[in-house]
Amino acid sequence: MPDLWELLSILAKLLLYFGVLGSVGLVLARLVFRRETGDLHRRICGQASALALLALAAAGFGFLLRGAAMTGDASGMTDPEMLGLLWRNPPGARLLLLGSGLLLVLAGLRLAGPGLWFGLWIAGAGGLLALWSFALIGHVPDAGPLWLQALLVVHLAAAAFWIGILSPLSSLAAQPERLSAAGELGHRFGRIAAVTVPVLIAAGIVMAWRLLGDPSAMTTTGYGLTLLAKIAGVAVLLGAAAHNKLRFVPAMRRGEPAAAARLRRSIAVEWLAVCAILLITATLTTLQHPPGLID
Amino acid sequence: MKPILLAGLLVLGATTAVAHSKLNTTAPANGAVLAQAPARIVLSFAKRIRLTKVRLRHGDSATVDLDLSGQKGFATRIAIPVPGGGPGLYRIEWRGLAADGHAMRGRFSFRVK
Repeated sequence: MPDLWELLSILAKLLLYFGVLGSVGLVLARLVFRRETGDLHRRICGQASALALLALAAAGFGFLLRGAAMTGDASGMTDPEMLGLLWRNPPGARLLLLGSGLLLVLAGLRLAGPGLWFGLWIAGAGGLLALWSFALIGHVPDAGPLWLQALLVVHLAAAAFWIGILSPLSSLAAQPERLSAAGELGHRFGRIAAVTVPVLIAAGIVMAWRLLGDPSAMTTTGYGLTLLAKIAGVAVLLGAAAHNKLRFVPAMRRGEPAAAARLRRSIAVEWLAVCAILLITATLTTLQHPPGLID
Repeated sequence: MKPILLAGLLVLGATTAVAHSKLNTTAPANGAVLAQAPARIVLSFAKRIRLTKVRLRHGDSATVDLDLSGQKGFATRIAIPVPGGGPGLYRIEWRGLAADGHAMRGRFSFRVK
């Protein structure tokens, strides 16, 4: 059974994933949908900054928890020998890259004004660094080739883009006078997602194939079963997104206000699915060992 | 309901066994019965690791931290002196950092007649 430090590590990872993907996603949404999200600029920058701060705190806490995991008690969180050992090895390199990326996100958001895109591009570059830090430690880098690590970054960027649209879209849909803008944003996102979502899923399948080693491991190992639970969460997310794209967004573009309320309910379901997927992923990366990896 | 519970147990229960299975062998082996207490224990790993904590519990006596001052870097084979003791069950719990950054832990035990 997992010990206290592993359970706390799952919590820290959940907050980290939520913070990084949420903040990077909001920056991407603002960069890609400049016109549609113009009125939400301050709100988006505020949310993205708060999520980047959450991610920074979770990253620091997670680093200290590794120290505790190495001693088996809380003393490891403040033990200079343990923390020094972590800092000189991959967890330190990862924290440095992740922290630098998140600080760039925060700095960029601070510089960004409604017409000042330079700051948002800095934030976007910081977000890319933060995403890349996930390729430094974990099952995918353990599996080897650089292209697989690049695929993980693509997978994360596509997931961030999806998560990042949820809040602006829900916010616009909540305002009856912006029904048309919300419909337009949903429509444009739907067109881009027709490419990014298949890329997200394809990258996930390739990584799963490498990490599982054998398809039968999907139902015979703890790693495979946890992955199945994640796939179930993704199926719920896809179902809600399909409803949005095929029913609610077209109805909003036709000027039907009731569709906006349905879209917001559907986005709430998507949020729940996202949280479940991130929690399962945190469990997967903390407790499970991919059967396809040779020790 | 039963299959879901079984799957849950496989996911959670197998975790420590699977996630921390990089320990290849130990000397004495897990479950071994010896005629006399060993002067040291040896842990062999598939990948390099730096042990950060090794605890020994002999019978019902208090748990003691074994001396790791001889461990300066990452290694695949690590020998640790064990304080002299009589017959009984020896339970070892170890923790460490793998060279790839993963925190690892595990346990094994042996008995001295």
